Order: sequence, then C-alpha cells, then structure tokens
Amino acid sequence: MKNLNIKSAITNLLAVSLLTVISISFTVVAADKLEINTVATLRDHTEIDTQKEPNRIYKVVNKDIKQGRNYPMQPPIIPHTIRGYEVNRNNNKCMSCHSRHRTEKSQAPMVSVTHYMDRDGNFLADVSPRRYFCNQCHVIQLDAEPLIENSFIDMNSLMKSKTVNTDQH
Amino acid sequence: MTKNNESRTDEYHVASFVAYPIFEQLTEVQKAITRVDGTEIHATSAEGKIVFTIEGHSYKDIGNKMDTIRNHKGVINLSPVYHQILDESTDSENN
Amino acid sequence: MINRREFIKANAIAAAAAVAGVSVPSLASNLITSSDITKLKWDKAPCRFCGTGCSVNVGVMDGKVVATHGDIKSPVNKGLNCVKGYFLSKIMYGKDRLTQPLLRMTNGKYDKQGEFAPVSWDKAFDVMAEKAKATLNKSGPEAVGMFGSGQWTVQEGYAAVKLMKAGFRTNNIDPNARHCMASAVGGFMRTFGIDEPMGCYDDLEAADAFVLWGSNMAEMHPILWTRLTDRRLSAPHVKVAVLSTFEHRSFDLADNGMVFTPQTDLAILNFIANYIIQTDRVNKDFVNKHTNFRLGETDIGYGLRPEHPLEQVAKNNGKTAGSSTEIDFDTYAKFVSTYTAEYTAKLSGVPVHKLEALAELYADPKIKVTSFWTMGFNQHTRGVWANNLAYNIHLLTGKISTPGNSPFSLTGQPSACGTAREVGTFSHRLPADLVVTNPKHRATAEKIWNLPSGTVPAKPGYHAALQNRMLKDGKLNFYWVQCNNNMQAAANINEEAYPGYRNPENFIVVSDPYPTVTAQAADLILPTAMWVEKEGVYGNAERRTQSWYQMVEAPTGAKSDLWQLVEFSKRFKVEDVWPEELIAKKPDVRGKTLFDVLYKDASVGNFSLDEIPKDRLNHESRDFGFYIQKGLFEEYASFGRGHGHDLAPYDRYHQERGLRWPVVNGKETQWRFKEGSDPYVKPGSGWDFYGHKDGRAIIFALPYEPPAESPDDEYDLWLSTGRVLEHWHSGSMTQRVPELYKSMPDALVYMHPDDAKARNMRRGDLVKLISRRGEVQTRVETRGRNKPPIGLVYMPWFDASRLVNKVTLDATDPLSKQTDYKKCAIKIVKV
Repeated sequence: MKNLNIKSAITNLLAVSLLTVISISFTVVAADKLEINTVATLRDHTEIDTQKEPNRIYKVVNKDIKQGRNYPMQPPIIPHTIRGYEVNRNNNKCMSCHSRHRTEKSQAPMVSVTHYMDRDGNFLADVSPRRYFCNQCHVIQLDAEPLIENSFIDMNSLMKSKTVNTDQH
Repeated sequence: MTKNNESRTDEYHVASFVAYPIFEQLTEVQKAITRVDGTEIHATSAEGKIVFTIEGHSYKDIGNKMDTIRNHKGVINLSPVYHQILDESTDSENN
Repeated sequence: MINRREFIKANAIAAAAAVAGVSVPSLASNLITSSDITKLKWDKAPCRFCGTGCSVNVGVMDGKVVATHGDIKSPVNKGLNCVKGYFLSKIMYGKDRLTQPLLRMTNGKYDKQGEFAPVSWDKAFDVMAEKAKATLNKSGPEAVGMFGSGQWTVQEGYAAVKLMKAGFRTNNIDPNARHCMASAVGGFMRTFGIDEPMGCYDDLEAADAFVLWGSNMAEMHPILWTRLTDRRLSAPHVKVAVLSTFEHRSFDLADNGMVFTPQTDLAILNFIANYIIQTDRVNKDFVNKHTNFRLGETDIGYGLRPEHPLEQVAKNNGKTAGSSTEIDFDTYAKFVSTYTAEYTAKLSGVPVHKLEALAELYADPKIKVTSFWTMGFNQHTRGVWANNLAYNIHLLTGKISTPGNSPFSLTGQPSACGTAREVGTFSHRLPADLVVTNPKHRATAEKIWNLPSGTVPAKPGYHAALQNRMLKDGKLNFYWVQCNNNMQAAANINEEAYPGYRNPENFIVVSDPYPTVTAQAADLILPTAMWVEKEGVYGNAERRTQSWYQMVEAPTGAKSDLWQLVEFSKRFKVEDVWPEELIAKKPDVRGKTLFDVLYKDASVGNFSLDEIPKDRLNHESRDFGFYIQKGLFEEYASFGRGHGHDLAPYDRYHQERGLRWPVVNGKETQWRFKEGSDPYVKPGSGWDFYGHKDGRAIIFALPYEPPAESPDDEYDLWLSTGRVLEHWHSGSMTQRVPELYKSMPDALVYMHPDDAKARNMRRGDLVKLISRRGEVQTRVETRGRNKPPIGLVYMPWFDASRLVNKVTLDATDPLSKQTDYKKCAIKIVKV
C-alpha cells in the first residue's frame, strides 16, 4: 500500500498550532510566584494561622477552542461549559453531540475510536461501558492562573530543540 | 457549538487496529485491508491477528475506512487501539 | 530530520502490536524510530496516586518524563487512567521544587523563630543529629518520633521501622495511614485475626450487586468505578446501591441511592443482619462451621484528651475498650432484633422500602454481592465497629471469599497496604501483622534483625493524633515527618498541630519534594526525590505488590526518603542510642554505627551492585555500595513468608504487573481463606479463617452509638470533609499541574440551596465556617457535583490556602485511633 513518506522540515512542523497551545508551562504567570526554595508558595506566603480573603469562584472557560495535548494519549480538555450536562444511569449528555452518529450534525469532535474497545480488546458496536463516565478523564478548565509554573516539556518541543541544535552544525 | 468543520482539513490522522479474521479467510481479509486507501499491514500473528494502520485526513475518513474493513464477512473482530491527530495547518508560526 | 508523521505512526504500530502480542520487525521495544533524537524509553510503574494501583507506562526522553499512558498489560486498569493519572508526567516539574535543605536561622545559627535559609546536606544532618541526641539524652527514646506515610515505598517504610524501633528504640512511628486505614485494620484483626481483603478486583466482573458504603468510588477509585460501571451497564440484572451522608457522583449509577444521617450506618448494618435472620436466610451451614459470636464492649469514648467531658463520662474507654465476651447465635439474634425497619428508618432517615431493597441484596442467596467501603467507614469514631458489622452480614450469609461475594475494604493510598500495614509502620506494630506488645513477636523481629533480646520496645508509642498532642504538651521533642502533609491533613490544626510544631521545645524536620504547609511549619526542610526518581515497591488495595525502577534523576540536591533515613543512620553509634546492658548482650556492635548494624551488616546488605541491571539508575544503592532496595525487601519478606503474607522474590516483581500475595510456589492468590484458591487453607475445610487458631471468623454484636459532636442550636450544621477527583490528598502534587489546578483551583463549601437561602447566602458568597476550635473562609457552592441534604455541608481539604482542618475535631475511634473527618458541628456565616 501507499507509503506516506512525507518529509517535513522542522520549520513546517512548527507551524503546528498544537505547539502554540500545548505548553501551558509557558503561560505568563505573575513573576513573584517563581521562587525556588521558598515556602508557602501555594498559599501566597501567608502564615498558617491566618488566611487571606479567598478569591471569587472562577468562571469556566467556554471558548470551544481545542487545547493542545501534552502527549499523545492525554485525554483532551473540555473546552466548553458542561453545566447541567448529566451523565448517569439513564442518560449520557456528552454523547448527544460527541457520538459517532451525531458529529455530522453537531460538528463536535467524535469520541475517539479507542472508546469502542472493551476491557479485553474487543470492538463493540457502541462506546464501551467502561468509558461511560466521561468526567473521570475529561475535565473543564476555569479561568484561573496557575499558582505555580510547571517546567514539563513535551516531547515535540524536546525534539525540536535538539534538531535546531543539530541543524546549526 | 464548535467552529471547526469536517470537510477536507489540514489534519493527519493515523489509527492502528488489530483485526481478528476467520483463519481460513486470512489472505482475503489481508487483501481487503490493503485495498482500502491509506492502510498498511505491519504484522500478522501466528493465530492470524493482523496489526495494521489507517491514515486519513479526518475523523469521518478514518471511520469510513474502518467500516469498510469491518464489514468484510471474514472479519470476526476489529479492535481499534490507537488514534492520533496532527494538525498541519500553516498558521504564521515563527521559528 | 524528524518526520513527525512517521513518529506518531510508529507509536500507533507499537501500541497495536503490543495488544496483538506480536513483534514488528522494524520496531525495537523501546526505540520508536532509529533516530537518536526521537529515542523514547518506556518503562512500567504504578500510578503515584490512589490505592487502586493502576499501572502506567512512563516515557522518558533526555532524562525527563515526557509522557505516560495507562498500561494495557495491567489487569487492574487495562490501559485506562483517571484524569490525575493522565497528568503524572507533570507532577515532578512544579517550578518551586525544593533543591536544598532549608533551616530556620538567625545570623547563621539555628533559630526556631528565624527565617528559612539554605544549608548543605552535611549541615542539615549535623543539626538533626545534634537535636536527636540531645533529646535522647534529656528525655529518652519516648521523646523522639516520626510520622511516615502510606505513600512511602515498601523499602522506605521498612528502613524507617528499623531505624526507629531497633535504632532509636522508640515506637513513636506512625503513618498517615492512621488517618486512612487504621479502622479497616482493626476490623480485619478483630473479625479475622489477620489483615487485608480476602477478595480481589476480579470480584468486579463477577458480582450481581454492588453496595457502596460511604465510598465515593466515582471520584476516589475511578478505575475501579469504570470496572463496576462496565459490569452494571453490560449485565442488566446487576444492581448498584450507594449509601452516603450526601449525594455525590457515585449516585449517578445507583439503582438505590440512600442518604443517611451521619453515624447511622451502624444501625443500617445491624438492620440488615436482623432482616437476614428474620427472613430466615442465614446460611446456617456456613455459620455453624466457620464462625463464632462475640458481644463487644460499648461506651468506649471518642479518643479525645482524657480531660475532655466525653472521655470523663465514657465507661469503657480504657484498656477494655476492645474486649468482648463469647455469646451464641440466639443471643446475637436477640441483640440485633431491636434494629427493625421502622426504628432504623426513623434513626437514619432512609425510607423503609429502600432499606429493605438494600437488605435483600444480602439476604437473597442467589445474589453475589460485593460491598465497598473506604473513608465513610474508616474515618468514623466507631470505624472498627462499622468494619466488623459489614463483615457480619457477609458471614451470616456465607457470601465471602468467592468471586463476586466480597466485603471489600478499599484502600485510599497507593501503598497503605504494601507499606504502612504490611511493613507495620505503626506505633504498635512490626512487619507481617506482628505487634510490639507480644514478646514472641518482638523476639521474631530481633532474630531476623540479628539484634539482642530487648532491643524492640514493648510499649506502643504515640499514634498520629497523640503525636500532635504530645508535641503540643512538649513530650515529643524531635520529630521527623516524611512523605505526607500532616499540618494540612490532621484535624484540629489550631488547638493541636500548629502549636505542637511551633512549640519552642520541639525540633521538627520535614522531608518533601515541595514546600507544603507542613514544611512551612517545620524547622528544617529536606528536599526529597519522588516517584520515578527512585526505585521502589508499592502494594495496592487488592494485595497486589508492584515494583518500578528509577527512571530519571531527581533535581540536583533532592534525595529520596530512603537515602535520607539510611544516610542519617550513619550519624549514630550504638553507644549514642543503646544502653550499656543492651550492648553487652551483643558486644560486636561496639563502636558500630546504626548504618552498619541495621543496614550494611544486616541481611539488608546482602546483595551487591552487580545485581542491578547495568543500564539502570539507582542513586541510593550506588551511594551506599550495595543493592539496598532488594536487601530491604528480602529481609522484610522473610517476616511474612510461610505465615500467610508470602511475597515473591524481589526480582520477579520487576517482570510482572504486580502479584497478589500470598504468592506461594510462584502463584498469586486471588481469594483468601477459600479452599482451592488460598494455599494456606486446610484441605477439606472449604473455608478456613486461619488468622484465628480455630479457623473461625467472628460475628460481633455491636450497637449504634452516637457521634462525638452533633449539630446543636449554635453550631447547626454537620461538616463532612474529603477529596475530589481532580486532586490527590492535600494537592501538593496536583495543584502544581496547570490542567488539574485549572479544573478545580479552590476548595468550596458544598451546601444545599435552601440552607444557603436560609442564611441569606448565594452561590459565590464569601463565608466563614466556624466550629468550637477555629474558623476557615471559603466560597459557597450550591450547584456542584456534591448535593448535600439540608443540615450538612461538605468541604474538600486539597486547598493549601483554605485549611478546613482548622475547624475539624480530632475525635478518633478509640480502638483504631483513626480520626473521624466526616462529622463535626459547625455554623456558617456570611463575611
């Protein structure tokens, strides 16, 4: 069969929008939070026996913009509000847009084919019951700035930085 | 709800599968798989399990190709294992 | 030149090939393409989080973890994780990761009131050793203590037990598993004489009915919940009953969801026993052959300080609290006969028809029923009783130790079983269910450790809640906290924990990868390595022991708990810690350090570095000069082999996705106490509860007794606390992962809308939760995932800036000493 042997230069690959959104570690965070070897970093340097006023409840990010994934198997983040969307014994609201037969109408991303596989690796006609409760793996995001930055680097960025170096030789 | 549309996108999809055919029809199933555009067989086990990939440009594309293979009467079981999408649209990305 | 399409295609092929069990010629097992740049090494490890014990594959590139995915080969999770597990690759990379020891100093000298300043490891150990020795000289071994963890590796727990009990000769070592599983252990020991579940996760695919007792599996054991969901939705006859003091996500699958008044679970359990007896469905054959009946002591107090009024009036809160007398079946039947449907419905608030539907699941001999419970039963002032009563209804019906018939005590932490319970890192225990109070058990330990008779102290030490009280009272003066966040986790921060740590007479050392609230309260902070930065073993809730290799280096300066414990032991000669009479019994230890006596020269030091596979990292072993993880494991395993706790040889665990003990003749055990499945069962007996000499389990007659602190006119609401799906425990790891933080950044208080309205509050309002012990501020949530009834609120404890344990009560089960986090009385006011 046809072998897809497309050569893509790194510069093209950088055009991938995946990368622009992928690294939340590069999001701008207030500079004074980046302190190594200091304490109380998750409570804004407040003494234990006092408490700063709790912030307002953050709002759900509802922009419907797909977030990049940190690595292939990561379940995608839910980019919209799910208020009132019930998933219970009788009804799975998520599937009313995301199931295979509904995506044409809804234009929502189809649930991944991996969800059709049962525990023993057999293919089922519909989503496997073991995948039924979507929220165990898929979560929403609120509009909160992370308190602490994370220096995780995804493998694509790592590869890119290495190739850039070798290109310069 | 979402802004994307599912017509020809700048996406590259690859999904991998394990097909379990009726052993006597192994060769026919292999042929049926390779007849589908974008497929590639990588291994076949002693019991006849076939490891293959399907490449395509959208969810719908992969789904259609998968259905074509699954419908072959020699296929007892078709297990999807892995599915990844690469968004290759060219935004202005500076290096 | 990188071809990203080829890269991901290769991943796809590798995954499918693994599933099909074939090898693809062009693929090496851990090289995805032939290019050096894309070299990705995959290796297995247990997930860092809950007691489910999923296995993950960890992808490492250039010394960093870049990906994880659920391990397809593990029978526990078969390729799935929960959202926390899917972000494991980020938990080690919070930017405030500690890399230097930090000591409170003023002008270059230790000062408890000083600010933290970086010091070298050498200086840190100097100060620690000085403080420990001073405390030992002044006040003896009872003034030193350690608070460890059900998230320690097995090896770390064992090294700590040896250091404390044999080195410093104190029993003041207790784990945070005291907050989590102590009541379950108490239940097992009383009913069966031996610890840990008899069933296994395979019960999930076999049961006809599931009952969740105060266990929110949907959020707290998600992968087990997926297996339960799979079973329920695949087989229409399967029924799910869920009981809790408030409605939560597990109710989404319930056929019979019941919200009951706190503490009345005791009554409901007795009602079911009564129902079984009244409807004549006792399995008489089983009961006659395999059980005894006993009447348990009552009015046993609430584990509070002796001066507390509740302790003053309790009749049996002393040494007799756990005692019992032999009775017969008729006496037992009479005892439970007062728990009629009407009485129980009135007490609990659960309607009669629901109670009876629930009872039917147990009574009907055709229904295979699995009961799950976790913190609802264990964090309970009568938690041991609740465990005993749950076993009662399985024993009366003979529904135990066969596939699907399973009273299953679920474990919260990843290794509360493997480390805390099995290794015995408790103030009263030794490995393999041995106890310090038994002279024969102490002699066994001393023999295996090759130490003189009398080394191991006989008196139980301070348990978790008592440690905080003794710190406050100035009786515990040198204290080392490892691998937990107890300042945030322990109840009653204002009255006990905080003054305890800040008491000028005390020197507090805290080991953690991150600067937690506990570190903030310490005097010396030690930067610690975590998870796959060290080799280790964990044991999960179904007795599955799993191992992993070190995969990446820890950040420069951070060292594992194991390295710290063992390195610290080099600072002590036996003369520093043992009296002359003891040394005289074994003169060849003269002049030796604890490192020599407990580790290097003990059988812990038996295995050379050659036994480590050549391409493996192993910082600790290479530093100490021998394969220490294997040595610790094998010496520890010698306690349990041949005694129902058999572990396989260490190297085998690196090949398997874990094995369930007892592993006898290379074969793991799925169902214990059952002939055909458990090699320890006496042939011909059918069932053999060999933890007791006569092979019989005990059915206990125990009543409902009220909680320690119920709502009254002033403090008019119940407060229940617990976790949420997105965060693990105190959030020290998950709050540093941006996606998990943003999925739930703050701990809110979940309230019924009518309760809010009655207090003139709306969703989002700033409020204060106030109890007799303190207050904490947060915001109101009236439409969240948790829907409490009127009169009860729920607040999670993952939030370092909203410390709910400032208001909780440190009442415990007097038998298990486990804190009741689910019931105290508060009021809520608008700020």
